[in-house]
Amino acid sequence: MKNLIKLGMRNIFRFKKRTFITLSAVSIGLALLIIGITLMNGIDKQSFNNIINSQTSHIKIFKTGYFEEKDELPTDKVLKDCLPFLETLKKIKYIEGIERRILFPCSLINGSDELPCIGAGIETELDPFIFNVKESLVEGEWLEEDEYQIVIGKDFAEDMRLKTGDMVTARMITSKDDENFTWNAMDFEVKGIFETKNPGVDSGYIFLPLKLTREAMSMNSGVTEVVVRLGTLDFDRIQEVKTLIKEEINKSGLDYDVFSWDQLAGDFLAISKMKTKNTAILIMIMLFIASMGIVNTMLMAVLERTREIGMMKALGMNRWEIKKVFLIEGGFIGVFGSLLGCILGGLGGWYMEVYGLTMKSFGKTYQDVVSSIYPVKDTFYADLTFDVLLYTFLLGTLISVAATYYPASRAAKMDPVDALRHF
Amino acid sequence: MALVKFENIFKIYKTGNIEFPALNDVSFTIDDREFLSIAGPSGSGKTTILNIIGCLDRATSGNFFFNGSDIRSKNENQLAELRKSGIGFIFQTFNLIPIFTAFENVEFPLILKGNMSPGERREKSESILEEVGLKDFLTRKPSELSGGQQQRVSIARALVKGPRLILADEPTANLDSDSGKDVVELMLELNKKMGVTFVFSTHDRMVMDFAERLIMLKDGKIESDKKRG
Repeated sequence: MKNLIKLGMRNIFRFKKRTFITLSAVSIGLALLIIGITLMNGIDKQSFNNIINSQTSHIKIFKTGYFEEKDELPTDKVLKDCLPFLETLKKIKYIEGIERRILFPCSLINGSDELPCIGAGIETELDPFIFNVKESLVEGEWLEEDEYQIVIGKDFAEDMRLKTGDMVTARMITSKDDENFTWNAMDFEVKGIFETKNPGVDSGYIFLPLKLTREAMSMNSGVTEVVVRLGTLDFDRIQEVKTLIKEEINKSGLDYDVFSWDQLAGDFLAISKMKTKNTAILIMIMLFIASMGIVNTMLMAVLERTREIGMMKALGMNRWEIKKVFLIEGGFIGVFGSLLGCILGGLGGWYMEVYGLTMKSFGKTYQDVVSSIYPVKDTFYADLTFDVLLYTFLLGTLISVAATYYPASRAAKMDPVDALRHF
Repeated sequence: MALVKFENIFKIYKTGNIEFPALNDVSFTIDDREFLSIAGPSGSGKTTILNIIGCLDRATSGNFFFNGSDIRSKNENQLAELRKSGIGFIFQTFNLIPIFTAFENVEFPLILKGNMSPGERREKSESILEEVGLKDFLTRKPSELSGGQQQRVSIARALVKGPRLILADEPTANLDSDSGKDVVELMLELNKKMGVTFVFSTHDRMVMDFAERLIMLKDGKIESDKKRG
């Protein structure tokens, strides 16, 4: 076997140019694959982080029936006097923070223009422990509980031509039915401008103190949601905590529902799953192209070495031994090509992880289209893991050996007399 | 017991509906240590006989015994095993592996045969190469050797596994007359010294003259079979 390996190794360097071209096809294909996968994984990771850190946190509790209408931001499905219940949740392991919020439909008026947005009444002291809005401030300061102040997303501020210190009017929709709605208007100072890098939040949310929101919405002690932050990102742990909260709700006899972030971001996760399927198809196509290169190279090798195959049979090599010679060669192309592909792809993936792929150079329209799909702004960062490199290496090697199987079988089946006569 | 025994061998090649009889009722025996030439014009069946003796091809009908064993009953792998240790081949076009050195080409059949340590293989291969006069060319690749030298490597490769029979298909056809003569003289020397049976095909009169037994073929039939002093 050792000597067949030696023979295979030498054979692949017999026609250096052809081997180089085949190796290049395999390695470049695999490198692009690694970069593509790590970038896709990175975008997913970034998206999940952005969704969790600026929109959903890990778990949300709603009044029963709210979730089904959550896109409408209903203000009539309210969690009333929920503080005693929230106290019971604090004993649950992994829970690091709990905040009550009111989300409501709203529009902002700057004196000449009016644009719709989502208003979020938040507990200004607790919110920074749950979400990243405060730490994302790029201008101005954070909210004070009793002041008529808002913080606004950077993109929204640009659309409204607002800067810190400006006064705006918020038209807050307090209730609505199929045809009519009632609203309340209040004036606020733009206290700060944030940029969470979640385009949906940066271009469509305003945050204001919960106390003032309650006043404006006439909600007294009510809120539309409770958000829960955990000290773990582990999916199973999150589900575990969700079940425990559900048990507490049942014990207390409340008509509350509890949802984890993956349910709240269901639309994006559906897109992500579809994208994974598309990526799998892309992988198959790329691997098919690379494998065709190997099939071609090995068929050429079999054709060129027909007399040599005849000679090997005359020396006593049986079909399986002849097949092994070519499978080993294919295996070498696979191993070297995959190794090179993993090195190139790993470097590319590492670069994308550290420096990212900026979308600015693609233009505003492209950015807007991408932002409508992914909750990520400006720059995509790859997520390079050892698993991706390992699986790509194994897959590349396996595909190469599989692609060699047909040419190797052809060589093995050759009639020695015909092979020796071949010119 | 004869080393090779042909009994009423027929070999018919088919191309579409056309049949071409390459061997037509051929019978003969070859004993151990013979130095035999099969001669005849092109298409007379020389190579076909060598291919059947070498277990590379099968007769259409008739009986062929190698060392007393009926070859018809053997499967492809058993024939490969037989070639691996019992039969050596020398080809008209040498058929050396171009990426191997002379030493590696000679060592290759021993690797396939197995049961030898690298040290034993080295010793055996070097001694055979010395025997064929290529002691100083061990590390040369075929492209760095003359035609005569390449055929010597080919002879060494056929000899190294210690076969009882070596088949050579027109071993001098690609060589100039001096090199050709050297190669046949070497084969004869090895036949005498090592006791290996040599069967070679040729249509070169000078080469035929070296043979101790000459089988002349014509149109797939034996025209004459003469032993010479």
